[in-house]
Amino acid sequence: MNWPEVFHNLYMYGFLLYSALLILSYIAISVLSIAEIRNYRHKNSFTDYRVLASSTELPSMSILAPAYNEGETIVENVRSLLSLHYNHLEVIIINDGSKDDSLSRLITTYDLHRIDYFVNEQIPTKPVKGVYKSHNPVYSKLTVVDKVNGGKADALNVGVNIAQNKYYVCIDVDCVLEQDAILKLAKPFLENTSKRVIAVGGVVRIANSCEIEGGRIVKVNLPDQFLPRMQTLEYIRAFLLGRMAWARLNGLLLISGAFGVFDREIVIKCAGYNINTVGEDMELVVRMRRYMEELKEPYRVNFIPDPLCWTEAPASFKILGRQRNRWTRGTIETLRMHKKMFLNPDYGLLGMLSYPYWLFFEFMAPIVEFIGIILFIAACLMGIVTHALVLLMIGVIILGILYSVFAILMEVLTYNQYKRNKDILRLLLVAIIEPFVYHPFVVWSAIRGNIDLLRKKNSWGEMTRQGFVGKKPVG
Amino acid sequence: MKILIAEDDQVILMLLEFRLKKDGHEVIVTHDGREALEKIDEFQPDIVITDIMMPYVSGLEIIGAVKSKYPDKMRVIILSGMGQENVVLEAFQLGADDFITKPFSPNEVSVRVRRFDTGRK
Amino acid sequence: MEIHLSHFNTIYFSAKMSLPLTLLSGLSYMGILIESLSILIISLLFFMLIFLYNKSINEKQHEKWRLIAGLLIRKAVFHDNEDNPDATVPLTARAESLMHNRHFRQLVTEELITTKKSLAGMASENLKHLYQQLQLDKYALTNLKSPQWYVKAKAIQELTLMELKDVLPKLYRYTNNKNELVRMEAQSATVQFYGFEGLRFLNVITYPISEWQQIKLLQQLSQAAPVDVSIDTWLRSKNSSVAVFALKLARSYHWFQWHDTILACLEHPEANVRLQAIDCLCEIYTDKTAAILKSRFWQEELEIQLAIVKALRSIGTEDDAPFLVSLLAYDNNEMKIYAARAVTHISKNGLELIGISASASGYPLNEILAQIKGELAV
Repeated sequence: MNWPEVFHNLYMYGFLLYSALLILSYIAISVLSIAEIRNYRHKNSFTDYRVLASSTELPSMSILAPAYNEGETIVENVRSLLSLHYNHLEVIIINDGSKDDSLSRLITTYDLHRIDYFVNEQIPTKPVKGVYKSHNPVYSKLTVVDKVNGGKADALNVGVNIAQNKYYVCIDVDCVLEQDAILKLAKPFLENTSKRVIAVGGVVRIANSCEIEGGRIVKVNLPDQFLPRMQTLEYIRAFLLGRMAWARLNGLLLISGAFGVFDREIVIKCAGYNINTVGEDMELVVRMRRYMEELKEPYRVNFIPDPLCWTEAPASFKILGRQRNRWTRGTIETLRMHKKMFLNPDYGLLGMLSYPYWLFFEFMAPIVEFIGIILFIAACLMGIVTHALVLLMIGVIILGILYSVFAILMEVLTYNQYKRNKDILRLLLVAIIEPFVYHPFVVWSAIRGNIDLLRKKNSWGEMTRQGFVGKKPVG
Repeated sequence: MKILIAEDDQVILMLLEFRLKKDGHEVIVTHDGREALEKIDEFQPDIVITDIMMPYVSGLEIIGAVKSKYPDKMRVIILSGMGQENVVLEAFQLGADDFITKPFSPNEVSVRVRRFDTGRK
Repeated sequence: MEIHLSHFNTIYFSAKMSLPLTLLSGLSYMGILIESLSILIISLLFFMLIFLYNKSINEKQHEKWRLIAGLLIRKAVFHDNEDNPDATVPLTARAESLMHNRHFRQLVTEELITTKKSLAGMASENLKHLYQQLQLDKYALTNLKSPQWYVKAKAIQELTLMELKDVLPKLYRYTNNKNELVRMEAQSATVQFYGFEGLRFLNVITYPISEWQQIKLLQQLSQAAPVDVSIDTWLRSKNSSVAVFALKLARSYHWFQWHDTILACLEHPEANVRLQAIDCLCEIYTDKTAAILKSRFWQEELEIQLAIVKALRSIGTEDDAPFLVSLLAYDNNEMKIYAARAVTHISKNGLELIGISASASGYPLNEILAQIKGELAV
């Protein structure tokens, strides 16, 4: 038994199989996303949003924005939310027991006073300390809720309890929304006649280095800093390709916690966000889907490719690392909680395709890659590397770069947010550098996430900048 | 008279420019609110014709800026598709001198502009 | 490839020993790596440069075209009709030849439409004449027959915006087309041209009208002169979305004459029709309406029960207070809140009545009472 040979073959063919499946999925995603984006843009070209924005027949929407220690920026963020043009909008800020002066700043700036309020606790939460509204009729849309610290999921649950409307938008309080974002998000709920739309996700774009005035993005720029720039490409790939493809199949498992709209009734029926996981955004969508599958009622989860929400991305390795670590743990926890669905035909596409894909290509991918690299290095050192293996390695890297280039092409052909040729070339450079510099770091953070989970580090600890919680564009 | 137009629709801008120049006025065109404010200081027009919904700075903010800096010198005419009552009221409350809703007739704009022509040099 | 361990060992070690040579030899792994990546990068850059170059050329051309189109539009807008009413807008030779180019035609059409939306009066009429002079209407009519839905729908939209009323009979049959967008555009077209009278497609359509389309149509109708149309057949339509739309119309325009038929809708098999009917009755009611709503209360599911209570808040009287107070004991907090609010609105002693129940039952009524007191104080 020539053990190096066996080892080599096993390694190579296993690697080959995994890569082949991965590449097939890239191709499938590319094709599906093209079709879906085309379809959406054609439909969109018939809508004059400006005319409809002033209609009084539009459904009322609630915006829920949990906040923790956002003192520096919270007043401006709230101002940005209050300036959105939409009839019948309520803005609910949930102060999750901030240790800084967030609440007092809000009270002063917006002339808030505490009111008597009965919180209909349809979802059990940590205690609410007070509900505040403004004396000033200009700020009548605003409600601020102060509660005992309990984490983002708990804060959102309080928001869901308090929201008065049929649909709510869940966002990170520091996100900047486009003017017609709410209208565009409401549209899928209103358009569908045959299926019930339970949730709609939207694209999150990177706001670093963009010019922001009066709470609106006035000029889009490619981020100057290295890490945000790498994330720009990553987000384009994940949102324009990945999410759109899954939305087309009606198999979308994940709506970013930074930006999504939900049917409040279903959320309450599903008992709200799960406070025992750090991936509460993904877990809720999975649970909502599962609920509808079990009810055997036709439903959809939609996704809008238009740039609607802009957020600041982590610029330091440390914070980025923590973010990705948390996302990994969230993914694993969610997969574990719903393992009943794995290859279970009772759950249709969800169980037969979405869940397995997420398991093998989202959860396992970093692990496979990590082990793959280590074994490759071992093989090199042991001198059993073949041409085939090296070519395979290179092939996979090249195909990854091509996939990114395709994503850039899609972006240029559709939304073209980065109009200057210089920026497009910069993005190309990012695509080339990524597999060598950025990607290994992301994989390493994911591995650490796995390790941390195994060690059961139960992770919120002291809640740091909630601004980055729960956004998961990786795909 | 010297007229400054702020409008982000290229064709409408061109049409207005053509019509008003034909009427004998001196016309400066701008494409967004920010450019408009800069050119207002530089060019010192007698009349500012502006849309409301524009990039960077809205027409309503322009009314405010013009009326605080040049209260008697400049007239502001709003030309906008947002004809709802509350918008019109707000525009006048901020000090607008006239409000024309879209769709509009270029002849009408010409006539309304002429109203403010006191013949001063 | 065959694997001979010894072979590789030799190459591997020799590679390690003589790196500079192996870079050239192309057989070493580093060499392969570097060469393939270089080829990839160079070809990618080459490809993208060509693409970007192409893109800039296209953009420049489009800018030129936009200028030509703009000039054409300007000539049309300021065309003096008094001298020669039948004269056409003169076209430059350049513009004339470009009209054969599909992309240019699309650009001109788009600019024409956008401009026409902003202009009124003679300027608008002139643009319509230009549209017809350039034969763009003939292209649109051809596009109507296209198998692709977005081409069809775009053509309908174009013809509507250009106010080509004679074309309307051709468009009418698309109001029940199997593609949703085509239907929507055709329906919007008929309403645009004929206002309320244009709603007659509601008599015959089999496909449902989405909430979105209903909002769009209502928005369009708000621009037209209100006309009393017969919504009788619509309220009874098998197509439940038609019934919902008719109810919305009745509510917006306060068509009291249909009150009884609307009451009949309370027994419609679909829940959303019943809900809409209750919503409508908030605006259209008689002294008997409240009683009828109450009589239906216990037969309905929670969502509709809540709607009834909400309606009673608007149309209820003192006589309804006991019913609402009894609901304070209903085993659902939302119902309690709705009932409490309704009581305070319709009864002078509302707060006291609630107070009695609240002191008897404590939480949550006491908190609800406090909240409502606060709301009323504002």
